[in-house]
Amino acid sequence: MRARAEALPEIEAGPWLTPKPLAESRVAIVSTAGMHRRSDPPFTLGAVDYRIVPGDAGFDEMVVSHISTNFDRSAFQKDPNIAFPLDRLREMAQCGEIDSVAQWHYSFMGAMPVPTMFEDTGTEVGRLLAADDVDVALLIPV
Amino acid sequence: MATTSISLIRPQTEKTRPPRALWVSFDLGRPLGSAEDPEFQKDVIRAAFCLLETATAPSIDDYPIDAPDEAEAEQWACPLNLGPVTEDTLTGRLLAEVARLRPWSAETRAARNGRTLFGASGAAPDQVDQVATALAGFAESGDVPAADGGIEWAFDMPMLIRHLADDLRTHYHEAIAAQPGSGSPNHEALNKWIFGGTALGDSLLAAADQLTEIDSGMAKLVRGLLIPEGHYRGEKTF
Repeated sequence: MRARAEALPEIEAGPWLTPKPLAESRVAIVSTAGMHRRSDPPFTLGAVDYRIVPGDAGFDEMVVSHISTNFDRSAFQKDPNIAFPLDRLREMAQCGEIDSVAQWHYSFMGAMPVPTMFEDTGTEVGRLLAADDVDVALLIPV
Repeated sequence: MATTSISLIRPQTEKTRPPRALWVSFDLGRPLGSAEDPEFQKDVIRAAFCLLETATAPSIDDYPIDAPDEAEAEQWACPLNLGPVTEDTLTGRLLAEVARLRPWSAETRAARNGRTLFGASGAAPDQVDQVATALAGFAESGDVPAADGGIEWAFDMPMLIRHLADDLRTHYHEAIAAQPGSGSPNHEALNKWIFGGTALGDSLLAAADQLTEIDSGMAKLVRGLLIPEGHYRGEKTF
């Protein structure tokens, strides 16, 4: 993706929103790490779908089926929070930095050279986040 | 609902224009910088959250701190001597190497309370021998041998080869994570080790050669997903 970034199409900026104070905000993670539960179907080539990650999930049931070989998994193997910081958000909720951690989080597989292909599933996840009363989505690549 | 994001590839973020982005100088695979360092990770998250309060229009801010150092390729060497080679076949060599690393991998898994990323191929966490046999079998013959233990592979060929490779790399990474003095090698250091004469590296290169022989665009694509750029016999992988 690094080599192809310059060739990506320009995306029009979305509408601007002024967020609530962070201490009053419910936060969700949206990741492109290709992480999912071992029982979920793995990501396939060109996938634009997503896997749900419950807010109380443990990392011991997670695997990564991302197809890219140009990032190494050793840091993620050591500590999945480096790319999917569920424990960090729980700590920040506990000390009042954020209001709460969402009930559901979402995992996509990146490495898609045509980002507009995510429009339908991205819109769907936006609706799901809104229904979970999420105020802030933290978007994290890998 | 507002968003804030981490950016690892600045030109990509400039094209996709999320409302708020924090560009970090970290390697791919490490968007929050440092494993097992909760305070460093939270500092990065706080910087991304800070944009929710300060940004008034789409913007990319730079995170000013580099990640703690990892061992560069020229600084790191695997403490284990995986030779001498006594097995005649690639399958025999790979199984012997996997066995040599098994006690260290088991130590890492125990330290992580059993957590492992091994298994994206569909294999269970204890089926590393079957995964090794499948990969090396393909590398030697162009066919994946039937797996013992009733594994239901999660992928069809040729994409299965990509995920067999990933599971074996997980086994190797887990093994070196437990070894004393092995440090925390970066991506390139790991690649130079794997492709610098291990049976796994030789199996992956031979598997890539088999994929090259298949008259299929998908096989060529999988070859590119199998070998990191710069490690395929002096050629481009894709």
